[in-house]
Amino acid sequence: MSPRLRLALALVALAAGLVNLALALRVGDAGPRPLAYLLVAIVGVSWSFVAAGLLAWSRRPENRTGALMVAVGLAFALPGLRLIGTPLSTTLDLLLVTLPAAVLAHLIAVFPDGRATTRLQRVFLVANYATTVPLALVQLLLVDPGLLGCAECPDDLLGTGGPHPYGEAVVALSNLWQVVLAGLLLWIVVTRWRQAALPRRRSLAPVAQVAVVLLVLFIVRQTLRSAMSSLPPWIDVGLDLAVLTTLMLWPLGFLVGLARTRLDRSAVGDLAIELDQAWSPGRLEQALARVLHDPTVQLVYWLPDRQAFVDAAGRPVELPPEGGDRAVTVLRHDGDTAAALVHDAALGDEPELVQAVAATARLAIENQRLQAEVRAQLEEVRASRARIVAFGDAERRRVERNLHDGAQQRLVNLSLTLGIARSQPAAASDGELTAALDEAADELRLALAELRELARGIHPVILSEAGLGPALAALAERSPIPATVVAAPPDRLPARVEETAYYVASEALANAAKHAQATAVTISARRCDRGLVVEIGDDGAGGADANGSGLRGLADRVAAIDGRLEVRSPAGEGTWITAELPCGS
Amino acid sequence: MRPTLLIVDDHAGFRSLARRLLTSGGFEVVGEAADGHAAVTATRRLRPDVVLVDVQLPDIDGFEVASRLRENSVGPAVVLTSSRERTDYGERVSRSGAHGFIPKVELSGAAIRALLGSGRMG
Repeated sequence: MSPRLRLALALVALAAGLVNLALALRVGDAGPRPLAYLLVAIVGVSWSFVAAGLLAWSRRPENRTGALMVAVGLAFALPGLRLIGTPLSTTLDLLLVTLPAAVLAHLIAVFPDGRATTRLQRVFLVANYATTVPLALVQLLLVDPGLLGCAECPDDLLGTGGPHPYGEAVVALSNLWQVVLAGLLLWIVVTRWRQAALPRRRSLAPVAQVAVVLLVLFIVRQTLRSAMSSLPPWIDVGLDLAVLTTLMLWPLGFLVGLARTRLDRSAVGDLAIELDQAWSPGRLEQALARVLHDPTVQLVYWLPDRQAFVDAAGRPVELPPEGGDRAVTVLRHDGDTAAALVHDAALGDEPELVQAVAATARLAIENQRLQAEVRAQLEEVRASRARIVAFGDAERRRVERNLHDGAQQRLVNLSLTLGIARSQPAAASDGELTAALDEAADELRLALAELRELARGIHPVILSEAGLGPALAALAERSPIPATVVAAPPDRLPARVEETAYYVASEALANAAKHAQATAVTISARRCDRGLVVEIGDDGAGGADANGSGLRGLADRVAAIDGRLEVRSPAGEGTWITAELPCGS
Repeated sequence: MRPTLLIVDDHAGFRSLARRLLTSGGFEVVGEAADGHAAVTATRRLRPDVVLVDVQLPDIDGFEVASRLRENSVGPAVVLTSSRERTDYGERVSRSGAHGFIPKVELSGAAIRALLGSGRMG
């Protein structure tokens, strides 16, 4: 809207208001008294709507709210027609008497979008305008002007004034219809409030509250008027005054809503100060949520390498589709996508606020984006390490299985064949042959034992078949130094946890036997909140090097499933190796 | 009279060698089965005195076969065998209801008789 048009509209409203006031002064006590008094309030309503409307119009030209507010303001200059006192003005006045309320109802129905977005809103607008002038015309034709508060008006152009048998009924019906429309409008306002998300409620609140009070007052007034043929003047005028006063508050409520938005933008300054501090990933998101008044705000970062958005922890994030109740504001850095804010679609009402917040937090967001990128890479490395370990474990199981099904079976068959040969009568009678067969059987037994030991080292079959408890018991049973299992979980755990726990126990036991000169070892595996704690303690010499290749490998293996390894080995006091292994997914 | 015996193993080569070895070791081998379910069916049909069962079978494992055959502590004597060692299976051997375990490499008629003669091996 051009400043010239704005000025012209302001002048028209000003002039119309002044004319109204002049008319009220001129008529004084002689004219229709209540109207003359109320006109001051009516002019106040007119001016306040025009002023607030022009402000809204210049701020958001694309939103029709401002234009509608100006229209309401100008429509409220019409009641002065009644005081001009000519047949033409009386006719116009009586025909347009409900127009100000109709335009106001339009504004309230479509606020703050400025246009009807739901079916109910459209139905309301049609019903609202379709009945405004026709209803007034029916009243003009069938109702005594006295009943319309126009007892002292000159005759209208149609010359229909005068008592009419259905006059009171028509007025009562007309009032009832307005009650129905106001009820529908109240329903629209309340529904929109209930459905509005937090950010929109903030700007909607002052206006919606005023609208509810206004509509309730209006409904009470019209109901009383249609129920009682003549209201006591103090109630009639009092209700009019209450409605007009509330009406003057409407533009004020609108300005409060605007001010809130301005305040929100000034809160961006506070954000800038806060951003000076060090940020943890979640806190930046919290700060943005606070400034934007949207607790659901999610900040996601663009990773060019992956061509995908990730969250602060580096996990991939799917953006919501367009048109839903979640909206996305993409934040750019030197023209390239850097991040995106996923927020309530209602924040689309305040794009400047979102952009201001984004611009202020640009450096912090870029910093967080780089951190998210590193976290994503770290996550990738961890996943890849876990995959390598899992692949290694699977491969070892396969090799063990192959040894068992292949070479081991053949050696077993060979051993049985030797047994059969030894049981033959010819062999039994030949001492040399028996000795040779016995020797071959012994060699074979040794080869099988070695092969079994090798297979077991590659993968203990008891672990996958019977679980950690039996596997640890078997490990202790075969240990060259006395070993006791003091605790083991009775149930099965995820395979990677069982294998890592067994690996730790097996390596620790081997170390105790090889390096520690221990005489006794205890093994315990206990469930804890997070998962499993495996502890192997010996009474040996202590002084183990936690950074030596053996223990380092053990720590790596434990870390591969996000576990933690601790080695305590004070000289002369034995060695304690503790592994905490998480069981979660 | 020679005790009757059923051999359960999925390797035909092992079954044939075990049949020869145990026949010459004083047993009458009345049948063979290649998996756990066939073992249960054959046992009901043939009613052998002893069932020699490999731990690792293609369907149900040897422990399961032993517990099915030894339900309510009746039925034939069950001897588990494997090319692995007894310690590779922990307490599962004793819990299964089998009379004991003989590694395949030590299998002989004498070994089975010794096992059954001494009662259950822990």
